[in-house]
Amino acid sequence: MRRQKTVIAMCGIVGYLDTSRGSRPIGTTLLAMLTALDRRGPDSAGVAVWGEGVDGFTVRVALPDGDELAAHGTRVVRRARELARVSGVVAHGPLLTFDIGKVDAHELVAALERDGAAEVVSLGHRLAIVKQVGAPRNLDTEFGIGKLAGSHGLGHTRLSTESRVDLSHSQPFWAHGTPDLAVVHNGHITNYHRLRRRYEQDGVRFYTENDSEVIGVYLGRKLAAGATLHEAMRDSVRELDGSFSYLAATGDTFGFAKDPYCLKPLIVAETPDAVAIANEEIALHAVLGNGYRAREAGAAEVATWTTPPARGRQKRRAA
Amino acid sequence: MDDTAGTRPAEAARRLTMRTIDCHGRSVRDINVELKTAIGSGERDVRLVNPDARHNLAVAVLTDARITIDGPVGYYCGGMSDGVRLTVRGSAGWGVAECLLSGEVVVEGNAGNGAAASIRGGTVVVKGDAAARAGIAMKGGLLVIGGDCGYMTGFMMQRGRIVVCRNGGPALADSMYEGVVFVGGEIAELGNDAVVSDATAEELAEIHATLERYGVKGPDAFRKVASGRKLWNYDTKEREAWKAAL
Repeated sequence: MRRQKTVIAMCGIVGYLDTSRGSRPIGTTLLAMLTALDRRGPDSAGVAVWGEGVDGFTVRVALPDGDELAAHGTRVVRRARELARVSGVVAHGPLLTFDIGKVDAHELVAALERDGAAEVVSLGHRLAIVKQVGAPRNLDTEFGIGKLAGSHGLGHTRLSTESRVDLSHSQPFWAHGTPDLAVVHNGHITNYHRLRRRYEQDGVRFYTENDSEVIGVYLGRKLAAGATLHEAMRDSVRELDGSFSYLAATGDTFGFAKDPYCLKPLIVAETPDAVAIANEEIALHAVLGNGYRAREAGAAEVATWTTPPARGRQKRRAA
Repeated sequence: MDDTAGTRPAEAARRLTMRTIDCHGRSVRDINVELKTAIGSGERDVRLVNPDARHNLAVAVLTDARITIDGPVGYYCGGMSDGVRLTVRGSAGWGVAECLLSGEVVVEGNAGNGAAASIRGGTVVVKGDAAARAGIAMKGGLLVIGGDCGYMTGFMMQRGRIVVCRNGGPALADSMYEGVVFVGGEIAELGNDAVVSDATAEELAEIHATLERYGVKGPDAFRKVASGRKLWNYDTKEREAWKAAL
């Protein structure tokens, strides 16, 4: 008799800040961490990497499903070129990536997404998000993420428990409208519908039915109101309800937050060369070997690290 | 490479005679089968190397075999065991030694949530910090935490003792039946129906003897947290206390 394979866990999240600026591509590190956690969720996987950056934005869009990908892609690039100089256009299935000169982010997103022409998956000076339906190991064979370079990154492997499985519902989530801000989440935000209704009344568009999307929206609104990412995350552990461990980062800040009831795991290790975070230690061991001391994050704990491109140990803040 | 270099002579001699199981590249099931087979054939001293933070290692060991795991372990290490003498030379994930019946589990690093949850007997020592819900629903036994303990440690404890050498986290000793929690440092917040008193000289002597046995440093003084017993029986006149607890 065939033995049934049972999936008993949900969603793996990982984060890595390379404080040594070593030669190992961060994509390789994130891939190793995600692969160690891949049984936590085989539905979709993705990474967010903050690289050296461009003057304008690096933009990644998902084109609509169908037989006319090339036509959709041409239309999106034409719209972008009406706003600023476009370079480095790369198409990979339904994903289209390009760099664009200095332009207003909101104006750019509105132009690219007009009439459902595309969905902007990530946008930032440094941020690049690569995600797909399927297990983490496909990320390298399909997209070559092992070669992605950068100072820090996030990763996610998903077990879908509520919303559907497709590219839009995959994580990491870019916080639409806030360049360079991305989030990965494990858990459930139980006041998601209430928050979403409130934000939609303010004109915010939601792209998925996934409760995790609201975290990026929440943080983005706080940043727009003048808060630092650390302050926004500190507020979130009181204002988001439910079970959550999440990681968030921008071009200059990297951190984690955990719910006040410690309902989801989150293991943290700091070494002289790195900060590594995951919801199982097995992912930390996969990239740090034996040279670290792991600890579980505490109730309502928020910690962030600054991530300037300069060499050396980064400044940590905790609450 | 001689991995006995730098260890004490007795420990070095022990390592030469103990059975070693290399976990590298192997499934948890495969490792545990070899471990159980070795114990079943009379091995009394087994060492696991390269555990790489795998879950469920050395669970349900029902003899007093001595097991040493060289490195970090994942969830539920040593759980449901009866009599085992287990040492983890690293950190442990959620639920280490959960439901231990008797024996001894020592974690030399930090432990994740739910360390020693629901144990009925034996001793669990976490030399570093223990995260949330350490020792919840204990029905006997002893949990020693060399560092801090996290949120809701001792929640609904029914019997046994917890010794926290440094600081106690929020909701400490919430809704306990019996059992006591000794805290050497500050208490962030007491749980519902938790009452603080000073530990007696006899209790302190016992705590210090235990700490010395396991090489754990603790302060001279400990406070004792026990149940106020107000939640044992429902009293309609104390509805507010129940509403706060629930």
